[in-house]
Amino acid sequence: MTNYLIRRMFTMAIVLILSSLAIFVILNTAPGGPLSDLKFQRRDKGQQINPQDYQRLEQMLGLDKPTHLRYVAWLAGDDWIEILPPAWRMGKYGPLPNGKRLGILRGDWGESWAVAKGNPVLRVLLNRVPNTVTLMTASTLLSLIVAIPVGVLSAVKQYSTLDYVATTFSFIGISMPIFWLGIMMVILFSLKFHDWGLPSLPSGGAISVRGAGAGTLGDRLLHLIMPTIALSLLFMAGWSRFMRTSMLDVLHQDYVRTARAKGLVERIVIAKHAFRNALIPLITIVALQLSALFGGAILTETVFAYPGMGRLAYDALGRSDWPVLQGYLIILSVIIVASNLIADIAYVVVDPRIRYD
Amino acid sequence: MAVHELQPDSILRTEQILTPEESQLSIVWRRFRKHRLALLGAIILSTFILLAALAPVLAPSVPTGLHVTKVGLLPDPDAIDPPNQHLKPGEQGHILGTDEVGRDVFSRLLHAARVSLYVSIVATLGSEMIGALIGAISGYYGGSVDQVLMRIVDFMLTLPLLPILLVLSVVIAVSAPTSFQRINYLILILILFGWLSTARLVRGVVLSLRQQEFAEASRALGSSDLRIILRHMLPNALAPVIVASTLAVGDFVVTEAALSFLGFGVQPPTPSWGNMLTSVQEYMFLNPTLAIWPGLCIFLTVLSINFMGDGLRDALDPRMRGH
Repeated sequence: MTNYLIRRMFTMAIVLILSSLAIFVILNTAPGGPLSDLKFQRRDKGQQINPQDYQRLEQMLGLDKPTHLRYVAWLAGDDWIEILPPAWRMGKYGPLPNGKRLGILRGDWGESWAVAKGNPVLRVLLNRVPNTVTLMTASTLLSLIVAIPVGVLSAVKQYSTLDYVATTFSFIGISMPIFWLGIMMVILFSLKFHDWGLPSLPSGGAISVRGAGAGTLGDRLLHLIMPTIALSLLFMAGWSRFMRTSMLDVLHQDYVRTARAKGLVERIVIAKHAFRNALIPLITIVALQLSALFGGAILTETVFAYPGMGRLAYDALGRSDWPVLQGYLIILSVIIVASNLIADIAYVVVDPRIRYD
Repeated sequence: MAVHELQPDSILRTEQILTPEESQLSIVWRRFRKHRLALLGAIILSTFILLAALAPVLAPSVPTGLHVTKVGLLPDPDAIDPPNQHLKPGEQGHILGTDEVGRDVFSRLLHAARVSLYVSIVATLGSEMIGALIGAISGYYGGSVDQVLMRIVDFMLTLPLLPILLVLSVVIAVSAPTSFQRINYLILILILFGWLSTARLVRGVVLSLRQQEFAEASRALGSSDLRIILRHMLPNALAPVIVASTLAVGDFVVTEAALSFLGFGVQPPTPSWGNMLTSVQEYMFLNPTLAIWPGLCIFLTVLSINFMGDGLRDALDPRMRGH
């Protein structure tokens, strides 16, 4: 196990380096950036930007560095760059002097260009993390709470009315575009319910802006209801199908037949022997779908104007704020890679048949 | 008597009489027909495809044309209440009314169907071909080729799909000069991450087949690797690939719609079901019916495709039934 963990840590590091490289390359070959915007504005007013100013800005933002050095500086900073021989650190305007960046590995994620201009990216992102984590945790829990019993019952009563109803609902769930569901929910539960004089749900945000209960726990929960349901439906549907398949597989295993043969009550066979084993594969699926959950969170947070990381990334995309996007994608990669490792370890813990060596 | 009837030669004769020759295709069709929801899905999807194909003929007006009779010329930028341009469904010959700038919603839906289906079908064809090829190479050659390719697939599968697609779309497609080129770039981006699961699927099939006798025999007869892959390996992977690609069309419809909805896919004024929902958000307080149609089209298309995929799985691979 220790051996396996060391090997996994090693591949994790490689995966993270590769993702950071991919993220960096994609975003740094992007047209645009802060200076093209500036040039554009200047040209509009019929003024040419002063070349000295332009050079100063480029140097300030580190855009005078060649791409590979920008990647190194992004990761590990550039305050040590004078260690390198001048030929290795040739920039657009001659050998580069030591800079002030520390690099993401040392906690310096750069500053936002647009959405939170001048603020450190790490802080801007971390401010949004709790909201996103709350939304994703609530959705995962709700999906599991619905999916597990529905899946198990569908399998135990295969081809019953309940099974058919569950199947139909799961087809509807996996076919429903999250963002449309969100819009329809806002129209129904916020607009129409309000018009009809029924108690209505808030159409967006994480807390009320004004009013008596603004910012209280109850207010937050009220704002969480619709985004959570919208985000959950897809996963509820998918996971209940998966649970059904997994349960059916287990019900045909020899040990379940053995349990029945030794005279156990069907309820105990299902609850103690089948159910617990059918749960195991679900761990992998939940971990693997975490990246899909992040994707869904972007859509949900956008529809409901919910101030999470996804909404921030969406705003950053629209305004070419690459440092924020880079930071967002790095956080996602770390979370996804870590969750895969946790799922693998959890697998060993709950299933003694699996051993890594 | 009974013993007499069981003569091998009489069995042979009865079988010839009892089972008329039935092609593989008609067996599949017979099984598919039994899945009523799949049949319904096929009908709905065919209708959508037909409507999309005939959009220029069926659409009462140009999708980007404005209805100008009600408010005079172009929307007044200073108007306090811009949705005045909205015509109600049925008003002045607009079956589903007009949108916030006075464009016929029904015409836009038809043309959007063209865009959405074009993107998802081409993206599916591209992804399945690349996926099948890479999967076949990986499974057939095995060893380090397989290792490298499958590590790449594993790695790409861990990336968060939607954020990456959004970023790529901004980075790559933004530079496209025309809207048609932009759509094609979008397809390329979808293919870039669309081939992964097919590659895994085909690899699995090829891996299990390459050591079997018929592959050996073909090799012994001097067939080239390419011929063995194309003639003996891929046809065996066809059934699962057909099922997977049907479901992939649905995935691409949703993904394209999501990208366009967020404003980084198909760009207005070219209509797509996704981007028709973008502007709706601003006006849903005044005209919520506008939000229904594009979403309903996406939902129905994807639902039909998913039912079809399920039916095809039952028809092509009866062992998978009930899963």
